[in-house]
Amino acid sequence: MAILEIRHLTHIFPNGTIALNDINLSVEAGEFVVIAGANGSGKTALLRHLNGLLRPTSGEVLLEGVPIAKDLTRARRKIGLIFQNSDNQIVGQTVSEDVAFGPENLNLSREEVDRLVKEILEAVGLSDLACRQPHTLSGGQKKRLAVAGVLAMRPQIIAFDEPFVALDYQGVLQVLSQIVDLHRKGHTILVVTHDLEKVLAHATRLIIMEKGRIVRDGDPARLIGDVETYGIKKPSGESVETMTWLS
Amino acid sequence: MAELTLFHYIAKKTLIHGMDGRIKLICMILFTMAVGFSQKGLDLAVLTAVLLMVYMAAGLSIKRLMTEIRYFLVLIGIIVVAHSFTIPGTAIPGLPVQGMTWEGLRSGLLFGWRLMLMLIIGNIMTGTTSFSLFKNVVEWFLRPVPFIPAARVAMMFSLTLVLIPAIFDQASEMLDAQKARCIDGRKNPIARISFLAGPLLFHTFMRADEIVQAMESRCYSEVRTPTAFQTTPTDWLLLGFTVAACLMVLLI
Amino acid sequence: MNTSAQLRMMVFASLMTALIAIGGYLSFPIPLIPVPIVLADFFVMLAGLLLGAAWGSASVGLFLFLGAMGIPVFAGGASGVAVFLGPTGGFLVGYLLGALVIGWVSGKGKPSSVKDFIALLLGDFVLFGLGIVWLKTVLKVTWAKALGFGLLPFIPGTVIKMATAIILVRTLRPYLKSLLPREDEYRA
Repeated sequence: MAILEIRHLTHIFPNGTIALNDINLSVEAGEFVVIAGANGSGKTALLRHLNGLLRPTSGEVLLEGVPIAKDLTRARRKIGLIFQNSDNQIVGQTVSEDVAFGPENLNLSREEVDRLVKEILEAVGLSDLACRQPHTLSGGQKKRLAVAGVLAMRPQIIAFDEPFVALDYQGVLQVLSQIVDLHRKGHTILVVTHDLEKVLAHATRLIIMEKGRIVRDGDPARLIGDVETYGIKKPSGESVETMTWLS
Repeated sequence: MAELTLFHYIAKKTLIHGMDGRIKLICMILFTMAVGFSQKGLDLAVLTAVLLMVYMAAGLSIKRLMTEIRYFLVLIGIIVVAHSFTIPGTAIPGLPVQGMTWEGLRSGLLFGWRLMLMLIIGNIMTGTTSFSLFKNVVEWFLRPVPFIPAARVAMMFSLTLVLIPAIFDQASEMLDAQKARCIDGRKNPIARISFLAGPLLFHTFMRADEIVQAMESRCYSEVRTPTAFQTTPTDWLLLGFTVAACLMVLLI
Repeated sequence: MNTSAQLRMMVFASLMTALIAIGGYLSFPIPLIPVPIVLADFFVMLAGLLLGAAWGSASVGLFLFLGAMGIPVFAGGASGVAVFLGPTGGFLVGYLLGALVIGWVSGKGKPSSVKDFIALLLGDFVLFGLGIVWLKTVLKVTWAKALGFGLLPFIPGTVIKMATAIILVRTLRPYLKSLLPREDEYRA
């Protein structure tokens, strides 16, 4: 059974814009999906349906076969969303307090929260910065903190919205290696981006969106030739394996 | 301003830093009340000695206290002068200006002294307590108060402190961009304020939308894991010391 | 009010508090007047106008609370309980009641610029009223002197801020409203 299934999902914004138009998609556990598309193609709106931040105009999203609308808290725990601007995602006054935000929302016991925070900070390599104030971190560190905050909910699927925007070279490397690492550890990964050259080599599947529809879906190597038709820059080089910033 | 939230707290391992935040806050409130109620110079002198002792025990630097007092000295100066001239009583002889009274001078100095002590108390509290601990303490005290949603207050407190640096950076970036386009040439203050405040407000509220979504996707709830506090015998001892000191000053 | 709308108001109020704090550091020169104007009370006005009486005063209350706790958000980077007892303490409490009055008056019935103007007038009356009474009490000066220190130098700046606030609110209010009850979200 697919871990995530989207059936006939359509979303019309209150102002009448059609953001998503009859999306059908099924993702298996362990996939690494890159979703590409020009600005306004509906990528972000799609992500925000996955854990019930937006309500479909019609259609539904199923997590392990169960509609997410039945239990939004479950969907939000199992599908972690990393927003484009980390500054808007970080709410704690210190690094460790921010990681604790999610587990505290779930009202776990204090011991359990403390244990989770310690474990996750070690896993993402932020233990030394546990007492720092988030605004003193670098861009790459902030993004890793945002990921840590989501990991504390023990998600199975992690979805990134434009993870490389506004990061310097080092920041991109840090975040990219973290994404690859999470995939290796068994998480299902969705990455929304128009920046294929940084990440496509790691993907098992490429989805191209245009005007609220999925127009292409398949093996990255097979689709890479077509991307420029949909307003996405094709990275230089012919082979998909070279399309990563990790060496 | 980006360092704003770093401004006061200095992480150290002293007796005062290690106190249970709740008991520390009670002690500081007791001291503030004692300062507020004391009427004699002697009372204030005793409190000054005690508070300076605590200040030293907290490992806080006197130099920093001085920098902060500087702002208050101006205020206190104004108060002393105003009181001296306006409170009726025996005139102070031998001064170039007429009309100052002993009673006024005394009242002004006592007022200034009290303000100064409150400043020291505030510094001890904020210099030894991180804002996140402070927030937890305040939440703990608010919890039993009816009609005040303690968890919400604590969350807003956190959010504001996290947001101030980000919004401040945004405002200064906007100001610079406008200077680069010669905003200084415009004299109409309404236009100048609108050019800054308008976009700043729009951006800030746009940001709110994403913050809300990020919080919801992390299951925001007001029923949260409570903070754990630990009270040691030392805390009770220090509370006892505070009560004794305050009673002594007020009763004798 | 559902949880989502409440969370939204809460975030708006926190942002407003941050803006009030930052406003103390943003100063503008006005022609012919020696004292530059700062924007802290301008954002207090907007808190009342945009967020209404309850959330507006909550946002100002939070600002005062941050300052009382030692975060340097008051004029001149000051903070602490001592500021409230000093000569300018009345203005700070005036912020709170001012925002309450502004939110209450402007929020009655359909919003209009005339109502906003009356709200700001009454709000500032309360703000300066409290400020001046306290100033007079602390300094023990005559009414004339208290008005001379506490009101006259601020009149031109306050008029400018009121005008700007009324102009900005006309576009900001509909924008905020569009953000508030998103029809395409789940109702908890």
